[in-house]
Amino acid sequence: MKDSPMIDDRVLDAMIMRTRPRIERAMKVLRRPQARVGVIPSPLGKLLVAESDRGLAAIHFLFISGGERTLELLRKKFDLIENEPSARRIEKEIDRVFEGGIDATARAVDLSLVESDFQRRAYTFLRKVPAGAVITYQGLAATVGNPDAQRAIGTTMATNPIPIFVPCHRVIKSNGTIGNYGGGVDNKIKLLRAEGFEVGRDLRLPTRAVMGHRHTKIFCRPDCSAARRADPDNALIYADSRHARHEGLRACKLCKPE
Amino acid sequence: MPTFNLKLPPPFEDAVKSMEREIMRFLMRSTGDRDDAMDLFQETWLRAYRAYPTLQSEDGLRPWVFRIASNLCRNRARDRMRRGRVISHESADCESVERRAPQHINGGPEGALHLKRSIARLPGKQGQALMMRKFAGLEYGEIGTALNCSADSARACVYQALKKLRIEE
Repeated sequence: MKDSPMIDDRVLDAMIMRTRPRIERAMKVLRRPQARVGVIPSPLGKLLVAESDRGLAAIHFLFISGGERTLELLRKKFDLIENEPSARRIEKEIDRVFEGGIDATARAVDLSLVESDFQRRAYTFLRKVPAGAVITYQGLAATVGNPDAQRAIGTTMATNPIPIFVPCHRVIKSNGTIGNYGGGVDNKIKLLRAEGFEVGRDLRLPTRAVMGHRHTKIFCRPDCSAARRADPDNALIYADSRHARHEGLRACKLCKPE
Repeated sequence: MPTFNLKLPPPFEDAVKSMEREIMRFLMRSTGDRDDAMDLFQETWLRAYRAYPTLQSEDGLRPWVFRIASNLCRNRARDRMRRGRVISHESADCESVERRAPQHINGGPEGALHLKRSIARLPGKQGQALMMRKFAGLEYGEIGTALNCSADSARACVYQALKKLRIEE
């Protein structure tokens, strides 16, 4: 029943062959880049991961709803294929991030899922905040060029398409508490601790944390008079003096942090 | 904890491979003209690729592509009609396409030629439903999806089409 007696398959194939070059030419313009997706376990729970040739494109915490939505967004930007080896590789990388073997920001990312320029700038700068340091929502807003946009930064972090690798866990509140996290506060603590940031039970920063200044390259105790005078928008908070020195900062001569 | 299973429709190239013959056959039958069929074939797949992210699951693939193809056929027929109205002697040309077409397909037996012409004379939806059912082997539900109607309506269309063909015999 499927085959009609009238049109020979060979005729159809010949016609298909003749259209093929035209279709391929047109497809060159339309074609979406390819991305490999997979589901992996991690210390944070199950993750949906996607990677294009340019880098990691998406990570979604599957214990939070919205996995289908992320997949939908990905399909609009990429031709998706399920790829086990790629997923396994990302799994290993995340494990190494937790062991402290590599800094997640060293990994290339593909920000194709990010639509707004503001968000793109925020993510790009955030990736310069090293492991063992955090920045405040306000500080990040100021860096992106709009000091009053701390709430927009909050939204930006909440909709981060590539958590862990775009380290939105390194953004905290100005009052020194660690704030919220899209993957749950427990996971934010886990990630920060893995980077040497000993967050206490009260969700506050460790007592040994120091304020480092991006421009002067000096770090102080938080209560130092010089630190209070300095512009808080340009400060990063380091877990301790060692992390600050590692980033090339020197100790303040007034408060003399260890 | 929300359940999530990673279920993707097949890669687009695989979808094309699995269906290109039946789509070409469908277009050939709908248009009755080799060049038209090839034009629409290209357009069908380009449109399908553009809209591919909106396709939810693999099950919907076949009726979905058929629907794109049948919409394109309908658009083409409508455009023809408009153009035909402006330049009146082109309408004669349309008929000649229909008469000419079977010869450069395969020149099959006289009965098949007659059948083809009869199908071409059926109202658009009935003709398409009949072709999807009898030549492409789609389920009624799938035809319904492709033609934007219910499965029952698709069944009725095929029935009416067959009835008309029988009367013509």
